[in-house]
Amino acid sequence: MHKQVREGKVQIVLIGEGFRHHFQPANLDIAFKGAHPDDQSRSEMDLLNEGVTFIPDPAEKIDLENRSIVTTGGDVFDYDKLILATGAEASPHSIPGLAEGSVCFHTGQGNAVKVWESVSSFKKGRIGVLIAGVPHKCPPSPDEALFLLDEYLRHRKVRREVELTLLTPYPRSYPAERIAKVVGHLFDERGINVIPFFNVDTVDPAARKVFSLEGDEFEYDLLIAIPPHRGTGVIRKSGLGDEEGWIRTDKKTMRVRGHDDVFAIGDATDIPISKSGVVAHLQSKVVASNIAFEIEGKGTVLEYNGRINCPMETGHRQAIFVSATYQRPPADQSPSFLKYAMKKGFGTIYWSALTGRWEWLLDTYLGDMNEESGSVPFVG
Amino acid sequence: MPSTRKTVDSRGSSCPGPLTDLFKAYRQAGVGDVIDLLATDPVAESDVEAWATRSGNRVIEVVHETDFLRITVEIVRKVR
Repeated sequence: MHKQVREGKVQIVLIGEGFRHHFQPANLDIAFKGAHPDDQSRSEMDLLNEGVTFIPDPAEKIDLENRSIVTTGGDVFDYDKLILATGAEASPHSIPGLAEGSVCFHTGQGNAVKVWESVSSFKKGRIGVLIAGVPHKCPPSPDEALFLLDEYLRHRKVRREVELTLLTPYPRSYPAERIAKVVGHLFDERGINVIPFFNVDTVDPAARKVFSLEGDEFEYDLLIAIPPHRGTGVIRKSGLGDEEGWIRTDKKTMRVRGHDDVFAIGDATDIPISKSGVVAHLQSKVVASNIAFEIEGKGTVLEYNGRINCPMETGHRQAIFVSATYQRPPADQSPSFLKYAMKKGFGTIYWSALTGRWEWLLDTYLGDMNEESGSVPFVG
Repeated sequence: MPSTRKTVDSRGSSCPGPLTDLFKAYRQAGVGDVIDLLATDPVAESDVEAWATRSGNRVIEVVHETDFLRITVEIVRKVR
């Protein structure tokens, strides 16, 4: 649509929260490796292609009936096509005692730094990594946190003094069985415990105990929580989501149910799939292509096939990829340095990838969106 | 308080979707309530049975309908 934008026939407007764009996967590096937050964010203005009008004023209300957005500053924007990419909101206060009794790397860089401060001074005792709600951003992050903790504590030669435990509502260390097999084997080797079917009820910060609906309790010296997540405030206030604020979205066309001119992508949808950056990227390709074709008079040509591709660092410069589609579950695999290098490589090109410069590489690796079978190149 | 029966439709959702949906219903349920979980993911049956055993709740029946499973769970135990 470059020509139409240049000629003023099409206007693309981004209404966003603020001036900084954070690379959220790096919160794990901040929390467990002491990476500096400033290295993990950029000015939003520097990342946008020319031709995109940026309004750094969050949306206050979304009115789908009248096709308009009202910002917190009171400005009103009408639209012909709308893409909702409002993300997910971590909500630690929805579990009594959780916010007071835990640290968390899902709620921003500042809080990831607090995790690092706790971890880097920890010498002895019990650390629990608690999945306090599902779904949450970055499904591999709880297991990855434990792998990085294990590696870091071994480096400091205090690992024997520390007990590491995953508290999860799932029946195993990872929701998908084949990935759980890989992770479970590594957890066993490294002495990382798993308490399954742990649906958190409350946390007692004074007693340093966390209690489950199933009647279990866990005593901790440090609790790192992946908090419950929900749809963002503007979606809930505008009445656009389900009971948790997730936008009801067609899992293939990405259209918001009941509204042909509105799409939703990324963490904001109710699609039961990983909430991750790669998913948002692939869904955005589907939506952008289809909007462009609709404006030019041609029909919908792309559907999202459910492709996910989440890296999980397993410590000691090794990683695995949780890769699947709607039709193809994750494959068996072993951790490797190659996958670790690919994960790190992506982090390096992330900022320029946002401009579309690396689309050819992502298309080659992530495959054709129309490929129902999901038979894509995969480094296994 | 009288017990309630709730249907949770998780058809089309693959692991861990059905379990996630069941846990949401469990969080809101009380002892005596019944949850009918509808699922197309075949792993749902063993996962729900494992959860019920661990948590002290009861799978009343599992019905293999034409193209989905109906797993009926009675909430017998909810400690908190």
